Formats: sequence, C-alpha cells, structure tokens
Amino acid sequence: MAPVSKDRRLLGAAVVCAALFCVPLVLHDTFFLRVLTEALMWIGLALSFDVLAGYTGYLNFGHSAFFGIGAYTTALLMMKAHWPFPLALLAGAVAAAAGALLIGLPTLRLRGAYFAIATWALARAIQQFALVSSFTGGPDGMRLTAYLNPQYFYFVMLAVTGGTFFGLWFLLERAPFGLKLKAVREDQESAKALGLNPTWLKLQAMVLAALPTALLGGVFAYWVTFIDPSSTLGDLVSDQALVMVVFGGMGTLIGPVLGAVLMFAFKTLFWAYLSAYEVLYIIILGAVIALSVVFLPDGALGFVLRRRRTRRQAPGADPAPAGPGLAPSEKEA
Amino acid sequence: MPADLRAAVPDAPAAPPGGAEPILEVQHLSKVFGGLTAVNDVSFRLAPGEILGLIGPNGAGKTTLFNVISGYYAPTRGRVLFQGQDVSGRPPYALARRGIGRTFQVVKPFAGLTVLENVVIASFLRHPRRAQAEAQAWRVLETTGLADRAHLPAASLTLAGRKRLEIGKALALEPSFLLLDEVVAGLNPTETDRTMELILGLRADGISILIVEHIMRVIMGISDRLVVLNFGQKIAEGAPRDVARNPSVVQAYLGKEQE
Repeated sequence: MAPVSKDRRLLGAAVVCAALFCVPLVLHDTFFLRVLTEALMWIGLALSFDVLAGYTGYLNFGHSAFFGIGAYTTALLMMKAHWPFPLALLAGAVAAAAGALLIGLPTLRLRGAYFAIATWALARAIQQFALVSSFTGGPDGMRLTAYLNPQYFYFVMLAVTGGTFFGLWFLLERAPFGLKLKAVREDQESAKALGLNPTWLKLQAMVLAALPTALLGGVFAYWVTFIDPSSTLGDLVSDQALVMVVFGGMGTLIGPVLGAVLMFAFKTLFWAYLSAYEVLYIIILGAVIALSVVFLPDGALGFVLRRRRTRRQAPGADPAPAGPGLAPSEKEA
Repeated sequence: MPADLRAAVPDAPAAPPGGAEPILEVQHLSKVFGGLTAVNDVSFRLAPGEILGLIGPNGAGKTTLFNVISGYYAPTRGRVLFQGQDVSGRPPYALARRGIGRTFQVVKPFAGLTVLENVVIASFLRHPRRAQAEAQAWRVLETTGLADRAHLPAASLTLAGRKRLEIGKALALEPSFLLLDEVVAGLNPTETDRTMELILGLRADGISILIVEHIMRVIMGISDRLVVLNFGQKIAEGAPRDVARNPSVVQAYLGKEQE
C-alpha cells in the first residue's frame, strides 16, 4: 500500500535522525549533550509506552518495571558477572520480555482501570523486591564502573530510540500488526469474530513495549553509573511517559515524540530554575494530564473521546488511511 | 424472486437437501445461564449452499444459539459439528479460521478506523500480506456497495452502511458458512431489497447461510428452510410455506389464528 504521505513523514524522521547524528560532531558542550541524551531516552520511553496505551488501549502503569529490569539486569551482569556492556544490555531486554509475558498473561485479560491498577501493583512489588534484596544493593542501589564518554552514550541512546521509532513504524504503521492491535482496542469481541486472538496480540504488544524500554534502562544504568530502586523502578518513569504520550497524542508515533520533547524541555527548565519547589513538579504533571484529557481530546484515549474525535474527523485521530485514491490533505494533520 | 431458488427444497423437513454431508450440524444443543435455559435441546442441520432461516419471538434464544455456534459461548450440553468436526467450545477466532463468519445484531464496527481498515483487518485472515489484503478488501467493498465510503471513519456510516460493513467484514474472512443476525432490521425497503440480493448472491457463490430476521417478507423470501424457536426449543422446521401454516408456529410466533 505505502501511502505517499506516510513515506514522506518517514523521510522526515530519517532526516531528523541524521541531523541528530551530526550534533556531537559540531557541538562539544558536555552539558548540552547530556540533556539531549536524556531527551532521546524519554522519546524512546514515550514511544514504547504508546504501543500499549495508544495502539492497544491499555494504560500500563507498570512501564517502569521494564525500564528497571533492563537497568538492573545490565548492571548486575556487568558488575557481578563481568559481561561486556552490549551483551548485558541484550540480556536485560530478554529479561524484560520474559517479564512482560509473565506480567501480561494474567493482567491483559483485565480491562481499563483494572489493568492499570494490576500493572501498577506488580511494578511496585518488583520495586519492593529490588529494595529488600541484597544482590541489588537494596536501597543503596548499585554503582557501575564509570565510562566517561558523553558522545558514546549519546550515540547509543540515539541508536536505541531511533531503532525503536523505525521498528515501531514498520510494525505498527506498515505491517498488519498495528491494525490488528487497533481492532482489539476498538472492539475486542468483534475482533475475535475476525479471526484475531486478542490475548495473544496484547501479549505481543506488551513484549514489543518491554524490549526497547529495557534497552533504554540498560543504557541509562551504564550512562549515569548509579541506579537505585526509585530512579529506575519508581512510579515517575511510568507517570512521565504517560504524560508525554497523553499530551502529545496517543495512537500515533509522532505524538509521543512531540510530547516527550515538550515535556522534557519543561522538566529540564523546571529543575534548572525551580528545583526548590520539587512538589510542584508532580502537581504540574497531574494538571497536564487532566487538562490534556479535557482540552486536547486528540491526545487522549478513551472510547467516548475517540468516538467524538472520529465524528468530528479531527486530525491526529489516525494517520492517513491507506489505499489508492486518497487525497492526502483530507486526513493529514 | 426466490421461487426458483426454493425449487430444490425437499419435503422431508429434518434432512437437508440432496442428502449431502451437512456443513453444520447442531446436536441436542442446550445453553443454560444460571437458572435460565436459553437454548433447550435444539438440533438441526444445514446443507452446503443452503439458506436456513431461524425465527422465533423475542427472547426465543436465537442470538444465544448464534453465540454458541460461533464460539462466544460454550454449550452446556450437546455438540456443534462444522464440516463433520466437533467444534463445540472452540474460541471464535479459531472458528473464523475454519470458515465461520458472523455478524452482530448490535453492529460492532471499529469506530475509530476507516471503512477500508475495518475490512482489511478481516482480510488479513486469508491474506497475511498487506497489499493482497487491501486488494481483497476493495473487492468486498465493491460487493457490499461501500467502496465510495472506503476512507471515511466507520463511525460516520448510517445504520444501513454499518450493517453492510458488518456483512463486509464477515465476507472478507472468505467464509464457507455465514451467520447473519438481523442484518435487515432497521433498513428501509430499498436498502432491504439490496441486502436480500446481496445475501442471495452470496449463496450463489457457494456460501451456506444461517440467518436470523424478524421481517417476514425477508425471511420467507430468501430462506430455503426455516427453524422456529420458542422459549429455547425448536417447535417447527421445514419449508417456509409449511412453517407459516404450522398451527403451533402460528400460535407462538404469529399470534393465535382466528377460526
């Protein structure tokens, strides 16, 4: 099928990636590179969060578990088993994928708020486990051997996030998988009549969300050289990814990128100038979610909102339907 | 219109025409919800290429029977044989793969997706590659008269359009057996005629059909045989003209006849 508009957008994404690749070659400011590296990480986290939230219709408040499993597996294998970083990183992704299967099997049968609560509780359980276990260092966390090369981590993060974007684009926007997920999101019972096994599809989506998240966690661990249960397994990882996706626009790939860039810019400025008012940050996050849901329905999930959005044929609901004879202007944002 | 199509209907009501192996056989099927027996010991057969109408007053168990046959409910007792194999209790997606397509009485389009996308999702079952799936979806949209609305959101369709989309999605599965649940109810006479033509066309393509419909003109017009349910039990089976004269059917379904 390959609608022209989508290919053009993909070309745009490739240009952006190429430009980002050139940044360290011309810019040698370490602080700025650090900020960009973290921004890339959040873009990746928002993208992977959207696999379940936007395409499948499941808010995973346990997203942080995948990030933490990736971070801890990488750290443990590097520090205790002396594995090289790339291997430890891949092992973290495998561990998170296995975790996704274990978490997904019981929870993906639940709907709506029950799924959110169940995943939230499981993620808290994993966090507590890391907190009370001795091999993880408990509340003291783990320290990794420092590798002080900001450029290296920038490129690795760019590779993971860029790979995530193009991988998800292929699977969700081009391959049948994305449409099948949307069918499950829209009406699970109806999807079954069309030969789709919703539980299996949702499980695949959860594994697909877990893989890049764990990679990002592993890179994060090696990059910041210190991890503890709250920084990698805590609520804030899931919550911030959620805000970025809701704010940017669920069920698209551009939305999470946009949301991540804007929210991360806000976060960076906030901590630079208002770090004395730490509590305020959480309050603002909550307010952004609430206001996004009410005033930016294009960025919000929910049956009612989606239906209203579709009826109005608002942009962003679903990028360009495929097929011949489509006027690209009709549905494009 | 359908007089010639009914020419082959045999007089013996229990056996499907031609003596061929039935595509669907329901054996002593019961479905109990708590204390309510929604379907009670129902048996019938459907021959390949046959249109079997299922009628009965509201609450007679028609939709429950549909849900058991299409795998949404497991039967409490009895069996469903499809193409000679016991498929009782198999999940709906497994039955769809075997060739059973169904529509829902309360239409269930994927509202946030386009009409084309709705059908493409069903096409993936037989055409895993996207280009082929889309080509097939376009053919289905032509058949169901929805091609001009392919890129509109499914939510924007009228009721008639949604009912056609519902049939289109089932057709895109390339089924050998189709369960149609009130696909005509709520349509105006012109739309009704078009849908009847569509259904007869499907049978001409070799698809066997079990259809629930309240509108007598439709069900009498297109069915080869009728099965009548009342309070979950089969009270009559046979050619439409015979069933219409059957006293118990008249009493239960059409109202008590004046002497």
